[in-house]
Amino acid sequence: MKLAYYPGCVAQESGKELDMATRWVAKALGIELVSFPSFSCCGSGFLDEANEVLNIALNARNLAIAERAGLDLLTICSTCQGMLTLANVRLGDPKVKARVDGALRPLGIEYRGTTKVKHLLQVLTEDIGLDAIRAKVTRPLDGLKVGAFYGCHLLRPADEMGWESAEEPHSFEDLLSVLGASPVYYRGRVMCCGFPIQFVKPETASKIAGKQIVDAKAHGAEAMATPCPLCHISLDGYQNQAAKAVGHSLDMPVLHLPQVVGLALGASAEELGLQRHLVSTTPITDRLRARA
Amino acid sequence: MSEETVTATFDVYRFEPGKDAAPRYDRYVLDLPPHTPVLTALLKVRAEIDPSLTLRYSCRSAICGSCAMQINSKSRLACEAAIGPELERDGRIVIEPMRNQPVLRDLVVDQESFWRNYSKIEPHLILDPRHPMPEGRENPMTPEEVDRFKETPRCIACAACYSACPAVEADPAFPGPMALAKLFRFVVDPRDQAHQDRLVRIQTDGLWLCLRCHLCTEACPKDVRPSERIRDLKEMAIAAQGATEHGSRHAVGFKENIRERGQLNEMKLARQTFGPIGLLAQAPQGIRIWRKKPELLRAPHPIEGQDEVEKIYEALDNGKTKEDLP
Repeated sequence: MKLAYYPGCVAQESGKELDMATRWVAKALGIELVSFPSFSCCGSGFLDEANEVLNIALNARNLAIAERAGLDLLTICSTCQGMLTLANVRLGDPKVKARVDGALRPLGIEYRGTTKVKHLLQVLTEDIGLDAIRAKVTRPLDGLKVGAFYGCHLLRPADEMGWESAEEPHSFEDLLSVLGASPVYYRGRVMCCGFPIQFVKPETASKIAGKQIVDAKAHGAEAMATPCPLCHISLDGYQNQAAKAVGHSLDMPVLHLPQVVGLALGASAEELGLQRHLVSTTPITDRLRARA
Repeated sequence: MSEETVTATFDVYRFEPGKDAAPRYDRYVLDLPPHTPVLTALLKVRAEIDPSLTLRYSCRSAICGSCAMQINSKSRLACEAAIGPELERDGRIVIEPMRNQPVLRDLVVDQESFWRNYSKIEPHLILDPRHPMPEGRENPMTPEEVDRFKETPRCIACAACYSACPAVEADPAFPGPMALAKLFRFVVDPRDQAHQDRLVRIQTDGLWLCLRCHLCTEACPKDVRPSERIRDLKEMAIAAQGATEHGSRHAVGFKENIRERGQLNEMKLARQTFGPIGLLAQAPQGIRIWRKKPELLRAPHPIEGQDEVEKIYEALDNGKTKEDLP
């Protein structure tokens, strides 16, 4: 299958390991990623707060780029997924569409709304399919207890995201099971990571991140995994602050979605960029190596 | 004619602070038709099994907003939630009081902070004393003006959103989704004469603590969509006053940042949001991350077609919000 690859800002910069792991997994599973150096930022929820229509228009341009190539668009970030999907939804309002068209038409850009926005999690579980992935597993994850952490914008608002149940999602856990991990169910898996207010009130953001990590740990998680690089920043990059907020150390390795898949499909830690994490992932890789 | 019933197991939170050492869950098993509302089941428990079970309710028709509680961990109206789907999904029904408010007894919580946050936004029309309403005249609105409220007049103040909100849980400075949705309703009311003041005040009164996680919009039994109205308020607050707080500086900084290269320049945004002194306080954390992720300090290349992005900004970033202020 062939998809317009929308890596998003973070995976091209400080979260580059996510891009590395995505490319490795795509290659292993026969997904052709078509890059477009003309994609702009999705707005990340922040641009939307400053100017909603501008944000919709910039994403209409992104969607039109994929549309012109006749491709659906692949995201690897819950927030990119949310913002691009939301643009598709809002452009269904003729008043919004008229304003956006007014800005795009003079540039020769036409948005028709035929491009579907799909997150990697959806592509893996629905398009590639769990059976096909199971067939490619060369290093089962040895019952590693993993707490999936979905990220708000992949799920909510549910009536606009058109994805699985926002209250009881299960695609990530289904995927983890196929990879040989034991999914851990905990309340925090559908909660917020705190990232949106990391720049507003860091201590509150850390309290929220800490709460979800503590919850995952209390339910036995040895690692967490997320389909969102912004959640990853909160849970991994700022985990030391989260630990301070909850008053004890957390030591919770946090993997990106394609890193968990890549590990089970036989990628090396270096190929997946695991050395770039703030919280060491060696407890996981050592365990898998001991088993192999 | 006999109706088909299901055997329903309820685990109900019981706690009387000051009397009980710790909360406990009492189990009640009842045979009921699957369409039975949870509230009806709880009233049956109270009438037939345990008269001491304490809960709040009134209209039984999803109008009064009294019976919100946690049903299998979700904040919902007990009069509206049927037992059938809950049993199908979870096998039993766990009933707990709403979150983010202290328990008075069993399922009844102290709503003091919820109502305090509500009254703080001054949920009534504020008129300018220099322009009093003419004696004996009404102050009507056109249907188009009423449409500005969007779904907010539907709110029944049940506090399901307040219970579901992680910002309320983590920070008492956040007024909660319901108070902000109500504030929106008064800000866009063409008869209100304090919308400017309201927007200025809320910038420092917690507006920017919203996590936009949309858990409130998911929890709301009336589809008021508080998270979307909070977004509207943020855009209107920036239009009214400019970027004065960390939150609004971040949003406006983000907008300017994307205009330059089409994608995010992470380091520059941190500088814009925190300012030079604030940035210094962030330095130790920044250095920790930079050592693993050196790209943090690198400005990205401008995207191809940056000129298109610039032209879209020229067309649509002209200082007007989508909700033109009254």
